[in-house]
Amino acid sequence: MESLFFEATKATPLIDFNVNKKTLVLKGQSYPENAFKFYDPVFLRIENYLSTSPAEIRVDIRLSYVNTSSSKCIMMLLEKLEEAFKRGVNVQLNWYCDMENESEVECAEEFQEDISFPFKIIPELEKGSND
Amino acid sequence: MLDDKMLINLQRTLTCSGILISFSGRFSQGIIEELGEAIMKHMEAEDRPRNDIYNVFAIFVETTHNIKKYAVSKQGSSVYDRIYNSGIVTIGRNEEGYFICSGNLIEQSDAEKLAVELDTLIPMPKDQLKKRYKEQMKKELPPDCIGAGLGLIDIARKSSKPMNYSLQSMDDLLFFTLTVMV
Repeated sequence: MESLFFEATKATPLIDFNVNKKTLVLKGQSYPENAFKFYDPVFLRIENYLSTSPAEIRVDIRLSYVNTSSSKCIMMLLEKLEEAFKRGVNVQLNWYCDMENESEVECAEEFQEDISFPFKIIPELEKGSND
Repeated sequence: MLDDKMLINLQRTLTCSGILISFSGRFSQGIIEELGEAIMKHMEAEDRPRNDIYNVFAIFVETTHNIKKYAVSKQGSSVYDRIYNSGIVTIGRNEEGYFICSGNLIEQSDAEKLAVELDTLIPMPKDQLKKRYKEQMKKELPPDCIGAGLGLIDIARKSSKPMNYSLQSMDDLLFFTLTVMV
């Protein structure tokens, strides 16, 4: 079983899937030229991991902007997690948001509406607001 | 050749229309990223509400990706170069708020489908747009698709006023324009 790590770029988020820690982190902005191509390796690793019936996975998401085709990919990822949750995998997701940004919160809430595993929306404290 | 007078006139036109950023030509992912970042920085410097910055940026990304993906889908066709070179986007500000105006050449058969979709989306109230967005989000996509079919719905949702579009004949093609306000 392999982990996966992608450094963030302007249009793609940091992806850190750590098999030993059982965590998946997505952080940054997501509007690549081809979202499906970008997320494909993430889907593969996660599917592989979930197919081994692991005890748990914790997902931390902090995406300040997600374009529509990336949103579709995130939805596909959440659907895979949802299936695993229904098979008994302990799935926990924390979605960090800038609460002052209605659109960002709305985006997180719309994902939350379709999911039954523990999905928390957590206010992210603004970094460096006074510097 | 563009002479100095034309250049000054061009700049005057941009300034008089409140245009902050404009690009005309072939959109690349790099150009989209740079322009997107520029408009975001500009709006942050102007202390605009975070939600407005997000919406302008999102509309800009969706529109320019649509133009780019449309052009790429015409690869191999005799109109490919004309379509690819025809993209234009402007972002500006007037007394009503920020506007994102974009345009590109499209083929007649695509124009009909696009007009039907826009005529459906434009009068839709926000709650219905959300419903449509979620339905589209759950649709299975063909394996080699490049988009999720969500862009225009998302633009309509983020627009503060009904979107405006036009189609004008240009030889055998049509020039499509879309204006969105935030």
